[in-house]
Amino acid sequence: MSRKAVGVAGKRLSLSNLEKDLYPSYGFTKAHVLEYYRRISPFILPHLKDRALTLKRYPEGADREFFFEKRCPGHRPDWVKTAEIHRDSEEKMTVCLINDLETLIWVENLASLELHVPLARAGSAETPDSVVFDLDPGDGADILDCARVALILRDLFSGLKLASCVKTSGRKGLHVYVPLNRRETTFEDTKKFSRAVAEIMQKNYPALVTAKMAKELRRQRVFINWSQNDSSKTMICVYSLRARERPVVSCPLSWKELEDLAGLGDPERLQVLHDEAVRRAEAQGDLFHEVLMKKQKIPYL
Amino acid sequence: MARARQEEKTAMQVIWSGTISFSLVAIPVQLVKAVETGRVSFRMLHVKDYSPLARRMFCPEEEKIVSPDEIIRGYETGPDRYVLITDEELESVTPERSRTIEIAEFIDMREVDLIYYDHPYYLVPSKGGEKAYRLLAEVMRRTNRAGLAKFVLGEREYLVAVYSTEGVLALITLHYSEEILPDEGISPGETKVSAEEKGSIEKNIRKMMADFDPERYADRRRKKILDILRKKAKERAPVEAPPVGEEEVEGPADLVAALKESMRKVKDKR
Amino acid sequence: MAGKAIWKGFISFGDINLAVKLHTAVREDRIQFHLLHKRDRVKLRQQMICAYEKEAVPPEDQVKGFEVEEGKYIIVDPEELEQADPESSRLVEVHDFVKGVQIDPVFFERVYYLEPDANAKGYSALVAALQEMDVAGICTWAMRKRYYLGALQAAGKLLRLTTLRHADEVVSARSLELPKIVLSEKELKIGTELINQLTAPFQPEKFADEHQKKLRHLIEKKARGEKIAVLRPTRRKPTSPDRLLEALEASLKKVA
Repeated sequence: MSRKAVGVAGKRLSLSNLEKDLYPSYGFTKAHVLEYYRRISPFILPHLKDRALTLKRYPEGADREFFFEKRCPGHRPDWVKTAEIHRDSEEKMTVCLINDLETLIWVENLASLELHVPLARAGSAETPDSVVFDLDPGDGADILDCARVALILRDLFSGLKLASCVKTSGRKGLHVYVPLNRRETTFEDTKKFSRAVAEIMQKNYPALVTAKMAKELRRQRVFINWSQNDSSKTMICVYSLRARERPVVSCPLSWKELEDLAGLGDPERLQVLHDEAVRRAEAQGDLFHEVLMKKQKIPYL
Repeated sequence: MARARQEEKTAMQVIWSGTISFSLVAIPVQLVKAVETGRVSFRMLHVKDYSPLARRMFCPEEEKIVSPDEIIRGYETGPDRYVLITDEELESVTPERSRTIEIAEFIDMREVDLIYYDHPYYLVPSKGGEKAYRLLAEVMRRTNRAGLAKFVLGEREYLVAVYSTEGVLALITLHYSEEILPDEGISPGETKVSAEEKGSIEKNIRKMMADFDPERYADRRRKKILDILRKKAKERAPVEAPPVGEEEVEGPADLVAALKESMRKVKDKR
Repeated sequence: MAGKAIWKGFISFGDINLAVKLHTAVREDRIQFHLLHKRDRVKLRQQMICAYEKEAVPPEDQVKGFEVEEGKYIIVDPEELEQADPESSRLVEVHDFVKGVQIDPVFFERVYYLEPDANAKGYSALVAALQEMDVAGICTWAMRKRYYLGALQAAGKLLRLTTLRHADEVVSARSLELPKIVLSEKELKIGTELINQLTAPFQPEKFADEHQKKLRHLIEKKARGEKIAVLRPTRRKPTSPDRLLEALEASLKKVA
């Protein structure tokens, strides 16, 4: 195995297999992956900060086997921040917190192409800082249908005086976030709210939306997965790469952009590649900034 | 429900934290696992809806799950008769040993028959203990010595050997000598070994000398299981567990009304 | 007396083939507790609970799943997994011999005594050869539907087979990446002297399991209805790094 020692923020890191092609059909090596995360780090780090990370590792590349790693690897450097998680009466678990560039580079050196994070911070694991609507197209539906649903959701929320943000999932769907950032919020609240929204959407757009998980009910429809609003669930972090054929990013879009891109009628236009993600972020700043900052209250709960 | 406690760097999966001491030197340390069971892990699922199942303590009388704070340890003295022992009482048995691994003496690790070995762990230094830890590890390496100590972990007191490997202190719990079964009746007794026979065996052995490389003998069963899973994953899509949540919770009336109102406006606009 | 034979097999390498019986070498006898419901002292048992319905699920309604993605499982039948079970075989195949000192203690799992089954003569010759050359045979075998890795060694007049942990189960000491700290020669010298002063031969009999006796005593006391004085665990104050040399010198003075 080839190794290369580098210094990141004064920490020594030994990077391995930099020439390993992690997206073989696209020609994107581990060195490219590290470079992507280095450049996107000012934007992604605030969204990773203090969250119990789930690594999704692809040691052999994006098209090969992967494994989820919730426990922070034991062989970590001593400067990696961790948190202890207790879930029910199960064994307690040490998880990684990516709070700085060096830790981000370290986990990426483990080929953790995808970074999945909970909706709450590790220190307040029962307090979601946003409510999420995971729009997942069933067979026969696509990301354009998701865009229609997302735009309806935006209007629905604005009627409730709630601001919302959207990002691509980097797969086939979209994720709509409503920032909350209030200490009083519980997952019970967010689940109740998201479920009520999903059900009212299903009722009003039965040919477009379903709030039920069953495969057959999802056909030709967009499933609003409200159950992601749970302390045990994780979402792909905004700006994370996805393990697809190409290095696609779960990338925030402005509502205007979503409207325009969806108007072109080509699902491919709603996939954001690594270089474009960096370009957008550097030009527009973090479109997901509000998800971390904006304080809002779910009405009537 | 998940409770989380954020902390500054702790070592991997800390099992215990306390002090290791020899003579007047005391070093804060943490005990971590040296053995991790394999990665192929299955979950039991409910056949009806593929919900994951969790192992819980269950009261057969009331037919309900019992939460950890409703559980107590009992020693059975007769049918349905128990003496209850609390954690605090258990710790009171040898309170000096539940937080300190006090090295009673040093020994030559080669004198310890491996029949005594039970379970290995590593000790890692806690904050402020790094230097003394390093000293103990280095001196034990130079002298090829191991420290013998007794300490209490959970319900048991262990005799342990602490030795130095690759700059790290490893801790092996040892069996007590009364747990070692005698080998009487197994031994072949007095038999003459012919030089010729022994020589032939030695010749065989010499041909097969190698360096110890455990990587070469991966667990074949685990490999096979992974192969089966890979094949299955290609053949059919995985099943999905339903979201865990209350069934049919409608939002509160006010919320539903507000949503309906907003929805009406959305539809008017479109 | 040693435990009864648990398995029979053949040690095999080169042109050597030796029938042996495995005996357990260790027996643990520990005080067993039960977990009870505090309120009514009913003995609790473990039960599989459905995360969705929060109800107990009987064994016939349980299936085995392998998690490929969060909440997504591949269902595996027990019969399919049986394909991975080793074929039953009596062969303990020795692959290599290694110098005895090469195996790190963390690999050793469990010792079995080997009793010669038929050919006692070859048995003693093998014992003598292993002892003289100070080597261990690294072998694999399948026993009770599991593959084992083990070390064949001689001790006294006996052969022993010690199961070894598989490499992917052992956390390497190096992976802990402990900080490097430079020590002065003086600290090392005094530390070495101190350890030499505190060294004794290994006499495991000296360390009986007193804790079990004390615990039994505590249970009896409690059964008689006596009150147990709760003692707080004590913790020693860590030696501060700049006082290390001082503590070592004081220790040496104490033992010398």
